[in-house]
Formats: sequence, structure tokens, C-alpha cells
Amino acid sequence: MKKVFFAVIAAALVFIACNNDKQAESHDMAGVNKDTAATSASAVDKDIKTVSVTYTNLDPKLASSIKVVVDHYLHIKNALANDNEQEAASGGTAMFAALNKLDKSLFTAEQKKLYEENEEDVKEHAEHIGKSKIDHQREHFAMMSEDVYALTKAFGAGKTLYHDYCPMYNNDKGALWLSETVEIKNPYMGGKMLKCGTVEEKIQ
Amino acid sequence: MNMRIIKKIALGLLITLVLLQFIPASVNKSEKVSEMDITIQYPVPSTVQSVLKKACYDCHSNSTSYPWYARVQPFRLWIDGHVKDGKKELNFSEYGAYSKKRQFNKLRSIRETLEEGTMPLKSYRLLHAGAKLTDAEKATVLKWVNDTRHLMEAEIE
Repeated sequence: MKKVFFAVIAAALVFIACNNDKQAESHDMAGVNKDTAATSASAVDKDIKTVSVTYTNLDPKLASSIKVVVDHYLHIKNALANDNEQEAASGGTAMFAALNKLDKSLFTAEQKKLYEENEEDVKEHAEHIGKSKIDHQREHFAMMSEDVYALTKAFGAGKTLYHDYCPMYNNDKGALWLSETVEIKNPYMGGKMLKCGTVEEKIQ
Repeated sequence: MNMRIIKKIALGLLITLVLLQFIPASVNKSEKVSEMDITIQYPVPSTVQSVLKKACYDCHSNSTSYPWYARVQPFRLWIDGHVKDGKKELNFSEYGAYSKKRQFNKLRSIRETLEEGTMPLKSYRLLHAGAKLTDAEKATVLKWVNDTRHLMEAEIE
């Protein structure tokens, strides 16, 4: 009887171990293998496709307001990469305040139109990040990143930004984010898979 | 002795409840359909409209159909809070006033919350039989969401 008991336990252990292996495997970047990820993260900067900012004649006051907004965005991004919900929330609140302070009257008509396409959404996401749990913060961050991408492509950010991509987020639907460093720090996966992701282009 | 304390507490509660009734209630009931209403801006089949109306409009439009307990505080406060937050997030009555991109994104959020089952809210589903959507109803709305997104994409291009 004892023998049978031990055999069952042993089988169960083997089963659990195998299952764990499988899980680790399936979490392993879904199709993007480790080598390419390593190469892309350490890719030579000049090999990355460059996107030029559309409006280089932006009012300097606006340029600095947008830089402040983007800096708060990056603050949220880094907080999420570190799995820090509280820090992300304070970034969201600060970003919301900075967006409300931005003086739209300084835009040209054409610039204003582009800004207003994104304005309400960005504000909503920033506000929600300011008061949500980390999973929900990440959902809003994914949507907000699309808007911030559009805004920085149009108006710049006072520095070079890297447009990164995580293919696994949201059940492999994928999501983009912007970073101030060429090194990948994934805000969607955080500590689970910090280095996972690819650099798509740089905006300057 | 004990009895007296219990009586006092009961009386206190009763007075609080009566006083609560004096808190003014907000009314979210607009009679006419705004120019910006989604049904005027985009084609919305009647099957979809009826689902939106019974499961979404109480919090996501300018016209709430109030249940009986909405006349009693503190329930009304609770309802008013939901209506305020809901309209801020998405208002079908003012949908046309959103930027095109926001309209497009809102449809995506509708799809995601339906698929995840986060909307209609659980507490709302418990109190409103009509808000428990059947799979067929969900599919109808999801199809409409996709059709409308395609329509918007075609407009943008």
C-alpha cells in the first residue's frame, strides 16, 4: 500500500514539474526567440528606423508643455516596468494635471486639430491610471501609448524616443509603448518578463 | 438598561434615514434626442438599439430610467454617482461630439468590456434582469461594433 502511495506521489510530482516547464516555455516570448530579442535590445542605435517629428516649428511654450506631459508618461512607464502601482498612479495624476495646464491656443489650426483628436482620450487614461489597480493601469497605459505615440510623432518630446512593441500583452493582441532608452524595459510584463519586446523605430 | 441603548440607536438610525431623504437627487432625463446621439450619427439597427437601451443607457446616456428605489436615499446617491461616472466614461447621447479617434477607441472599449464581461457592471446585472445579456445579444452588439469600426475606417481613408 505504501509503495502505491509513493508511486502516486512521485507521478504527481513529475506531472507538476513537466507542467511548470511547459508554462515557462509558453511564456517565453511567444514566437520571438531569445536571440532576436537580445540582438534588438542591444541593436546599434543607427540601425533603427528613424521617424522625424512633423512639426518642428512648434511654439516653444507648447514644446516645453508637451515635454512635461511626455516626461510624466515615461515616469508611468518606468513605474509599471518596476511593478510599482503607487508610483504609476502618482505619474498618472501628474500627467493629467500637466495636460490640463497645456495652452491649446498656441497651436496652429492644423496642429490643434491633431492635438484634439487625442486630447480627451489621453486625459481619461491619465486620470484612470491615477486611481486604478495595476492591471487596469496597464490597460489604460496600452491605449494611452497609442495617443502619446501620435502626439510625439507630431510634436516631438524634447528628446529621442524609442517606439517599442510587446507582442504578448493582452492575450497576444500586443501593445506598443514609448521609451527614452534603447534598452527594453517592458511596462506591460514588468518583473515577469522585463526584457521582452522589440524596438520598432525611434522618433526624433 | 440594555433595552434603552438599543432603542436610542434605533431612533438615531431612523432620524438619520429621514434626514437623508432631504439630500437632493439629480435627474438625468432628457426628452429630446441630441443631434450628437449615436443613433443619428451612425446606423444602429433596432436590435442593437434595444440592447443598448435596456443594458447601457441608464448610465451611458442622457436618459436614465429610474427604478422604484431611486426615490429613496441613500440609494439615489449611489445611482447618481454611477450615472455621473458612466456618462463621463461614455455617453451615447453625445457620441458625435467626440473626436473621430475617440469614437473609434470607444467602440473598441465597448467590445473589450463585453468580451471580458466587465460591463454591464455586476451590481447592475443583479438588479436589472434585462442587463444580463444573452450570448445572442452580445454577438449582435459585437457585430455592430465591428461593422461601425469598419465604416469609420472607410471614412478616414
